[in-house]
Amino acid sequence: MKTIHRFCLAVTLLALSSALQARTIKIDVDGLVCAFCAQGIEKKMKAQPAVDKVFVSLEKKAVAVSLKDGQDIPDEKLRTEITNAGYVVTGIHRTDESLDVVRSRIKATK
Amino acid sequence: MLQKRSVPVLLFTASIGAFALPADAKPIAFSDGTTIMHERNVNMLEAQAFYAPEFWWSAGPGYLQLTSDDKRKRRDISYLQVNYLVNRWNMPSAQANLFSWAGAGTARSTDNGGITWRRDAVFRYGAQGDYETRRFYSSFKIDGYRSAAFANQVSTLQLGVAPYEHDYEDLATWFLIQFRHYTGGIRDMTDSNSKKLEQTALLRLFKGPVWVELGISRERHSQFMIMYNF
Repeated sequence: MKTIHRFCLAVTLLALSSALQARTIKIDVDGLVCAFCAQGIEKKMKAQPAVDKVFVSLEKKAVAVSLKDGQDIPDEKLRTEITNAGYVVTGIHRTDESLDVVRSRIKATK
Repeated sequence: MLQKRSVPVLLFTASIGAFALPADAKPIAFSDGTTIMHERNVNMLEAQAFYAPEFWWSAGPGYLQLTSDDKRKRRDISYLQVNYLVNRWNMPSAQANLFSWAGAGTARSTDNGGITWRRDAVFRYGAQGDYETRRFYSSFKIDGYRSAAFANQVSTLQLGVAPYEHDYEDLATWFLIQFRHYTGGIRDMTDSNSKKLEQTALLRLFKGPVWVELGISRERHSQFMIMYNF
């Protein structure tokens, strides 16, 4: 009986941690005015093993990245990569929404 | 956000500015990024390739050919150049940059239409300041070349407006006016100050890693520039 309880607890915790895992990170960036110059951000983000897709919005001064299942990137690493692309991070927000949802919301709020 | 650099570097840049030299696109892309560029007009043909180990500096080879209006003077300059981002101001809706560069190489030159040529070591220097939003662009650049045989400087001012605010995946379109001044007998064969200052209308287009500029001067000479980042 104890074994069944432990198994159920483990499954519950696993499911909970998966649900809490951020799927998308939205990064607010200063200096985003030129698409040609911002190529470096996409290149830097796509080079991260945890990153699946990248979306850049000059209009909203934001970069959004979707994460591969079960993976994450520390905030400090995100700041370093954006800095190496020549920009400044002003905020980092994590959400369990998909990148497509975040992208649609960003585009809709133009 | 202001990124401070060391005092010696600022002094070095100030000394370069005092010499004063040409300018347009940025000489540094991003860390681990490469920029290749080619530009040509009636007086100038230039090609450059720069690799940036970090976002604040890059280095690479370049080639410049300057030809005077009367075709008597010509300088073929091959050089290695180091570019330095002195400061960058990343603002919520704008970015400003101050770059400087220096380099050395060799030059083959003539002042008599190619009857005689000489070869000399050449020192190259330059600086650029720019400010841009998604609607407005401005830059001023000076490029200088000095050897035992010649001293040439090209100064370029560009002012531009965008008819619409492009986003990351869009085609960006800019209309610019460019004023360019050459010293060292490249374009001063006239007493008219207005003709000494080359004035060119430019169309700038970029999408993804490709940047193209097409222009026509008041004397109906064409200008072309292409740049690629990767």
